[in-house]
Amino acid sequence: MAASFIGFGALVRGLEIGLLPGLLSTLFVWALPGQVVLVNMYAEGAAFLAVAAAVTLTAVRLLPMVILVISTVRLEGAPRWPLYLLAHFIAVTIWRIAEDGLEELDRPKRVPWLLGVGITLMASMLVMASTGYYLAQSLPPLLAACLIFLTPSFFFISLFASARFAMDYLAIGAGAVIGPAAYHFYPDFDLLVGGLVGGTLAYLVTRRRRRGS
Amino acid sequence: MTGIAGLIVLTLAAGWATTYVWRFAGVYLAERTAPDSEVLMWVRAVATALVAALVARLIVAPPGLLATTALEARVGAMALGVAAFYVFGRQTGAGVVAAVVSLFGISWVLGGP
Repeated sequence: MAASFIGFGALVRGLEIGLLPGLLSTLFVWALPGQVVLVNMYAEGAAFLAVAAAVTLTAVRLLPMVILVISTVRLEGAPRWPLYLLAHFIAVTIWRIAEDGLEELDRPKRVPWLLGVGITLMASMLVMASTGYYLAQSLPPLLAACLIFLTPSFFFISLFASARFAMDYLAIGAGAVIGPAAYHFYPDFDLLVGGLVGGTLAYLVTRRRRRGS
Repeated sequence: MTGIAGLIVLTLAAGWATTYVWRFAGVYLAERTAPDSEVLMWVRAVATALVAALVARLIVAPPGLLATTALEARVGAMALGVAAFYVFGRQTGAGVVAAVVSLFGISWVLGGP
């Protein structure tokens, strides 16, 4: 995770928009794919609605993670607002930590403990992104390029790591092919087109097979 | 809108609100549903394809100094990263390290930047 935020900082440096958008997106989006989409489209000066739609689509994948984490920490009859605060910090890393580290913790202690982990992680990642940003400035060009490459590598490999169904692999392939094709025709909407068309194709093809078998 | 105010508004409206809406829905739904429906399968497929499209864009139209590497080097390095991920028993870290090291190696051999 630290490596991917160093990569993110280097990527923000490469976009030549200053460090601030990188830090703000870390604080408020706190999910790397959405952050990369946001800073990329900001650098391109994309239309507001296109940015909002693309970011929200990357964030859909947080929904099942939040459902899983919240159902392992919530208490019957306790106030709900701490859960809505905790939700802001939930992304892949917190989800993994919750899966591994919560079993031996008493249920009432789980929400404050995870909140502490979330805030600590966020503070560390602000430092990591800044580190990447300044490293990218002072490293030889090839090393800086490799630093930027950390982020897409992490995303791509993570897709394979979390793939469970044939549909997931098909969606990876379809998105990777349709996205760049769409980039030629609708540069603002390539991610939306790649996601919606590629994902729907993958879903429909495998659903027919699921039903056929 | 331009400048810092515009950036903050964009981050909050197009970044925070659009992301938090799914986290909010997650807390809400955690109290009532089982998360294994067909709708969630479709959502999962679209989200996966979207992140793949994002990676493809970063490879085809790379930001900053990454653009100084060859397209073949970026594609090849990513393929080697995925291969290493499987060779080393589905270790994400191994795949990422292999991808980045491959990009360095291939670019160096090609006499890149």
